[in-house]
Amino acid sequence: MSQVQSEGKRPKKAKATLVEMCSVRLGQGMFAVPIKHILEIVGSARPQPVPLAPSFVGGLVHYRGDVLTTVSMRQLLGMPPREGPQDILVLESAGGCFGLLVDSVCEVLTVSSEDYEPNPSILDERRRALFAGAYKLKDSLLIMLDPERLDPMRLGEAPAA
Amino acid sequence: MAMDELTREFLIESQEGLDRMERCLTELEERPKDADLIGEIFRAVHTIKGTTGFLGFTRLEKLAHSGENLLGMLREGKVVADRPIITGLLELLDGLRSILKSIETVESEGEGADAGLIGRLEELQKSPQAKAPEPSETRKLAVAGATVVAKPRRGAKASAPAAARPSPRIPATPPPATQTEEPAVAPASAPTLVSAPEPEHTIVPSKSPGCGTAVESTLRVDVTLLNRMMNLVGELVLTRNQVLQATAADPNMTLLSRRLDMVTADLRESVMKARMQPVSNIFSKMPRIVRDLSQSLGRRVRLQLVGQDTELDKSLLEAIKDPLTHAVRNSLDHGIEPPEVREAAGKDPEGTLQLRASHEGSHVVIEVSDDGAGIAVEKVRQKAIERGVITPERAAHLAERELLQLIFLPGFSTAAAVTNVSGRGVGMDVVRTNVERIGGKVEIDSRPGKGTTLRLRIPLTLAIIPALIVRTVQQSFALPQGALSELVHIPPEQAAKAIEWIEGSPLYRLRGKLLPLVFLDRLLMPGIEHRATTERDNFIAVLNADGRQFGLVVDGLADPEEIVVKPLSAVLKSIGLYSGATVLGNADLALILDPGAIALRAGVTMSAENEAEHAEEGETDAGLPVNPEYLLVEMAGRQAAVPLKDVLRIEQLPFSRIEYIGYRPVLNFEGQLLPIEDAGGILTAAQGESLSSDPNVVVVVCREGSRQVGIAVSHVLDVAAGSDLFEAGSSQRAGGVTLLKQRVTGVVDLGGVEPLPMVELAAEEAVEAVR
Repeated sequence: MSQVQSEGKRPKKAKATLVEMCSVRLGQGMFAVPIKHILEIVGSARPQPVPLAPSFVGGLVHYRGDVLTTVSMRQLLGMPPREGPQDILVLESAGGCFGLLVDSVCEVLTVSSEDYEPNPSILDERRRALFAGAYKLKDSLLIMLDPERLDPMRLGEAPAA
Repeated sequence: MAMDELTREFLIESQEGLDRMERCLTELEERPKDADLIGEIFRAVHTIKGTTGFLGFTRLEKLAHSGENLLGMLREGKVVADRPIITGLLELLDGLRSILKSIETVESEGEGADAGLIGRLEELQKSPQAKAPEPSETRKLAVAGATVVAKPRRGAKASAPAAARPSPRIPATPPPATQTEEPAVAPASAPTLVSAPEPEHTIVPSKSPGCGTAVESTLRVDVTLLNRMMNLVGELVLTRNQVLQATAADPNMTLLSRRLDMVTADLRESVMKARMQPVSNIFSKMPRIVRDLSQSLGRRVRLQLVGQDTELDKSLLEAIKDPLTHAVRNSLDHGIEPPEVREAAGKDPEGTLQLRASHEGSHVVIEVSDDGAGIAVEKVRQKAIERGVITPERAAHLAERELLQLIFLPGFSTAAAVTNVSGRGVGMDVVRTNVERIGGKVEIDSRPGKGTTLRLRIPLTLAIIPALIVRTVQQSFALPQGALSELVHIPPEQAAKAIEWIEGSPLYRLRGKLLPLVFLDRLLMPGIEHRATTERDNFIAVLNADGRQFGLVVDGLADPEEIVVKPLSAVLKSIGLYSGATVLGNADLALILDPGAIALRAGVTMSAENEAEHAEEGETDAGLPVNPEYLLVEMAGRQAAVPLKDVLRIEQLPFSRIEYIGYRPVLNFEGQLLPIEDAGGILTAAQGESLSSDPNVVVVVCREGSRQVGIAVSHVLDVAAGSDLFEAGSSQRAGGVTLLKQRVTGVVDLGGVEPLPMVELAAEEAVEAVR
């Protein structure tokens, strides 16, 4: 568990809390999901496509005796589909469990709430709906993903991307 | 905060007690002086009172106390259980139930005024006889009334310990079993049928509720735990399927995997059994419903419960509770006429409502039949036109049976007036959707003036279903076997001719009838180019869904498998075409197709012609003389017929599989010998050929009495109805021949197939196996 910057240096707010994040890669971008929402990480899976399903559905995978619906992060971001296996974050949300398809899972980072900033206004509406702000790292930005916003139930209600 | 163990135990026990009380009350109405029944009811209320005081539920205690006082007087014979008292006690029951429910959900007794009810109960103790001087007389004069006649539940005692619900209803109450001898049901003389319970059924006089041997050998198990077990067993079945596939080639593993197979099957069966409950669990609610309804509607109804010990998975039982209640309400409201109308029609003024549960293959069939007015088909037709459900032209063409199906459409009701019981048009469609949701089917049969029978066909279990795995768009899909009636293969070179088109709609002639086709690939992936039918194999799965027949065209077939149904997430469920997903033996995931939804999506409607044909079949079921169907086969150039009802299956196999005992050809099916009749000399011909190659032979496997025999044939030609032939002059029916497709055809005499040598004979006869 790598401890990242931001300890000690700026002690202006004493009650800055540390959050553990799992960072994932999609194309060139780095995203992160709070670890407390992650049930499990399933490596190199090949989801079974579901014909006629909404486009954000990445397919089905077998997960612990159940059939898990996955959400394709690439689809949501409008990126071209990726050939070959992808990693799945099994996430828990109000509507139940679902899988989030990402290119690869990187590492677990600890970030401080001090470095958090909400979504900048420059983002387009679709992305603003998907992202939950960003953490400023030393040399990059870590875009936060909120499982509640990615829940297939919710995505299904929203006008299809 | 979690409910403490003691309160939970109390709730379960009290609810069981009240269930018993309810059953006893409806019986008490028939036998107001039965001390055993009163004692049973008294104990139920007394137990609640005793425990509530201990747990501090004062509201409950007060109510139970006032009920106990009344019951005490009943027990001492100071008052007689007349109708007002029974109504009062039923109110007490409802009152107690609602408080228990409140304790269960919000863990407090809740606010409520019981004073009125308590007052009424006290009133009943005071001057009961003044109100109803001769209770049994009033009953006879009263128009309304319900009698419960339960067919004896044979084996109810034996089966109960095995049932999942350990509640030992068994020793506690004699089942509401009053056996009626049918002839004794004299129309006028016996408005209520009262007969002493058969001694057999009251083995344990209801002395000690809740204590007996059954209690010691049973155990309460949380349903969620059972569900979890079922889920795990499902997983095990999947793993077994995968192991079986992986080890199929390895002879060393065969024994092990076969053992795994057996153990898994046994385990699955046991867990499934643990979830089984007798239908009496929901049937027992019916007497009360029938009583209340028949009183408010002014009907006189005798309720018969048959097959109460038929068992069904708990979740399914839950699922059919509402549809069944609805069906019973419907029967009382629309079916059974008021007594005066019945009498005018020359019927017994007391109507009969029968609930019958029975096993039929892998289904449980529950029938709700009444001897009421039946459904007036003309009324349905008019209503349908009125409501704009169908056009008048179409209505004129619909067969009776299809018209009857219309009542399952939403918003359909033929009741002249809307009553608070039914008639609001939200009835039969709910019954149908609820039953179909659990993979069941609803059928309705009605004869005007004679009555109506509603048949619910419920699968034994939800979790595991047999399915055919089909392939299309490079993916596997599971097709439930229940909807599948046959498969037709059209190789690419025949596709252009075999599949015909009307304005872009593909059709196939299935035995002369046009069958609408649905291409699965086009349905699932619209808008992209698909391989033409002439460039691939076409398999037509002929499906029957909701009275619609159509052919689903897929690219390939895999083996049938027993699949474990996994639910889909809401997003995927809303696509509407899939009823679930499953994991196949090769660890692939497959979506389970919903034939009804596919038919709907593709716009396949009920074909009037087809329905008419079904209606005909329905007629014949009713006992009219039928022409039996035959399998038409060719044997060495000559046609012959095999009665279709005797045909089990048709095997096509290489000649090398046929072995000989002496001169007798036999087939060895894993140790089971099947004698083969070779009247046409087909095997002999094949034997000659077998020196150079291994020709295929076709064997029709038939049932003959208790044994099975095989008939070697050259080809199977068709299935057709035969008609009898009569000898000229004598007009005697000719045996052994039938008229099939305008040709006199000989019927194969299955009885004439020589039996295999039995054990003692075999000893004498040298068994000589010649390849």
